[in-house]
Amino acid sequence: MSESHYRHMKDLPSTHLLGAGTAMCAGCGGLQAVHEVYDVLGEKTVFVNAAGCMTLLSVYPFTPFRGSWLYTSMASAPAGAQGVRDALDLLVAKGRLPANDDLQVVVLTGDGAAYGMGLSSTSGAIDRGLDFIYLCYDNEGYANTGQQSSPATPHAAHTATDSGVLGHPGFKKDLFGIWVANRPAYAATVIGTEPLDLARKIERAKDMRGPRLILALAPCPSGWGFDPGEMAEIGRLAVRSGVWPLKEYDDGRVVHTEIRRPRVPVEEYLVRQERFRHLFEPERNDAELSAIQARIDAYWECVD
Amino acid sequence: MYRIRFHGRGGQGMKTASRILGTAFFGSGFEVQDAPLYGAERRGAPIFAYVRAARRPIHERGVIDRPDLVVVADDTLVPIPTAGVMAGLGERSVLLVATGEEPAVWRDRLQLQGPILTLPIAAEERAELRFVGASCAAAAARLIGVISWADLERATQQELAPLGETVVVENLRRGRAAWDAFAPHEGLVVEGAEAASQVDERPDWIELPFEAARISAPDIHVAATSTEVRTGLWRTIRPVIDYDRCHRCTWVCSTLCPDSAIAVDTEGAPRIDLDHCKGCMICVAVCPTHAIETIPEGEAKHAESEEARP
Ligand SMILES: Cc1ncc(C[n+]2csc(CCOP(=O)(O)OP(=O)(O)O)c2C)c(N)n1
Ligand code: SF4
Ligand code: SF4
Ligand code: SF4
Ligand SMILES: [Mg+2]
Repeated sequence: MSESHYRHMKDLPSTHLLGAGTAMCAGCGGLQAVHEVYDVLGEKTVFVNAAGCMTLLSVYPFTPFRGSWLYTSMASAPAGAQGVRDALDLLVAKGRLPANDDLQVVVLTGDGAAYGMGLSSTSGAIDRGLDFIYLCYDNEGYANTGQQSSPATPHAAHTATDSGVLGHPGFKKDLFGIWVANRPAYAATVIGTEPLDLARKIERAKDMRGPRLILALAPCPSGWGFDPGEMAEIGRLAVRSGVWPLKEYDDGRVVHTEIRRPRVPVEEYLVRQERFRHLFEPERNDAELSAIQARIDAYWECVD
Repeated sequence: MYRIRFHGRGGQGMKTASRILGTAFFGSGFEVQDAPLYGAERRGAPIFAYVRAARRPIHERGVIDRPDLVVVADDTLVPIPTAGVMAGLGERSVLLVATGEEPAVWRDRLQLQGPILTLPIAAEERAELRFVGASCAAAAARLIGVISWADLERATQQELAPLGETVVVENLRRGRAAWDAFAPHEGLVVEGAEAASQVDERPDWIELPFEAARISAPDIHVAATSTEVRTGLWRTIRPVIDYDRCHRCTWVCSTLCPDSAIAVDTEGAPRIDLDHCKGCMICVAVCPTHAIETIPEGEAKHAESEEARP
């Protein structure tokens, strides 16, 4: 493995490619991750965007991107990426596009699309070995339409569709695991609040070919219920508590890029978010809190 | 028919205020329409919601363009043309502004024909305005004067119940205070006439010829045009860097700002782009030397205009 450009925080890009002035909420964790990813990928990137919050990035005639952007339906971004990739390949083959002006094709998708209705087209694209990066900003719900539950919603979280005392009855699906089972070229989890880890992973993914997953946890002030200014702290707590393991899959192996010992109790992460407030008020739900902690501990026991 | 428009910023509870008022109207036997305006904008951006209520079925649709009452939760929105706060205010329209300033200041400033009232907001509440929704709904209900406190209380409880008991209690307390404070103005808002199609002015149509896709398809030939959109207008609080305390570790604040609003100058110092900074305050939270201060936007603007004076 070649040495990374990004050895210290100091090495992170100091100019930013993604234009300001987008319609994302103040303090959007998804936007933070997208801008960090774009800075490392560079201008020669074309985004294929499944319907969700991020489709509001480009509202004609305004775009934060420096190149093309394609809006697809929720389930079919990988199919859109296939079309764009094929067109680029043809242009290069016919000599109408110099090979060094070729573009990196990146699907930008929410979790609702990625963990749910977009899985079939994603699976097909991986099977075909499509040369693309699949960037999912995971805000753990259908945020654009008011934070309904998605297959990425964590157990017990309150959402617009699970507003009862117990919150979401399901359990967060393991999208990273699903991708790994498909033997992609690369897969990694990241978060915008750990920009160095993110930059190193994007740098690696950038130079590979084939299907590559970048799964970014995206703390969402509006959907999760916290003040925008707390976004960075919540993201860091997601990592320190072990809720969001940072890892990568490469060459048939999964490696954790950050192993925290000791881990912060998960409560500290949960208590800052409105969507988990019912676990603390009006009475503490000790049983649920210990069950959540136990699942995290069980995960890390297999890693340690 | 009563026509009420609530203006605020995403996250300040104006959608909730309109729901409370709509539900209270409904509980008092009215036919009701109540809708927030969904745009591309998000938390912090100017938004509005509106309520129509009448004793008879309502056939009018769409955004209210001739309001009987306009409630503004955030006075920084008034001078922003795109927020549309002043749109359609007529002789009888009542304007209610939540503000730290006196009504006389607003009357002098806006020179409207109709009455202007204020809902006092303490300086320390300015930035967050967490509970302003229920206060706005209660003040509006009292000004309209056809809804009882019991109906309003029930509507507030019903709409806020999912947020838990503490929130409900605090909102009811504040709602009641606003309800009492506006007793002297009960019934100030007068029901507007039913709209007739003849009243609507014919729009100035522009004929657009059909063009081939090459011409009519959206195509942008410049990079990052989004910077033309001034999201700095969303801000209610402003981050200000104290350069004496700043250690020039821009990889922290400039990287973590979600909005690419912190540039690094040639000396390696961070520069906040106030045209676009949304005031999320993430930079304030992550700065290791606590070099970034938070000041209310109104105060900052005021100081700027003082400085600009000869
Ligand atoms: C097939 C289909 N169903 C529903 C919608 C409406 N819709 C638009 S965005 C969205 C939410 C998408 O959620 P997610 O993928 O998690 O992205 P987020 O909104 O969280 O950014 C929905 C349901 C749609 N566009 N297409
Ligand atoms: S709802 Fe959440 S993910 Fe969507 S723009 Fe707002 S903060 Fe970002
Ligand atoms: S993080 Fe704080 S100290 Fe570092 S460059 Fe930014 S403002 Fe200065
Ligand atoms: S408050 Fe700070 S982090 Fe937030 S948009 Fe403004 S400059 Fe960026
Ligand atoms: Mg989502």
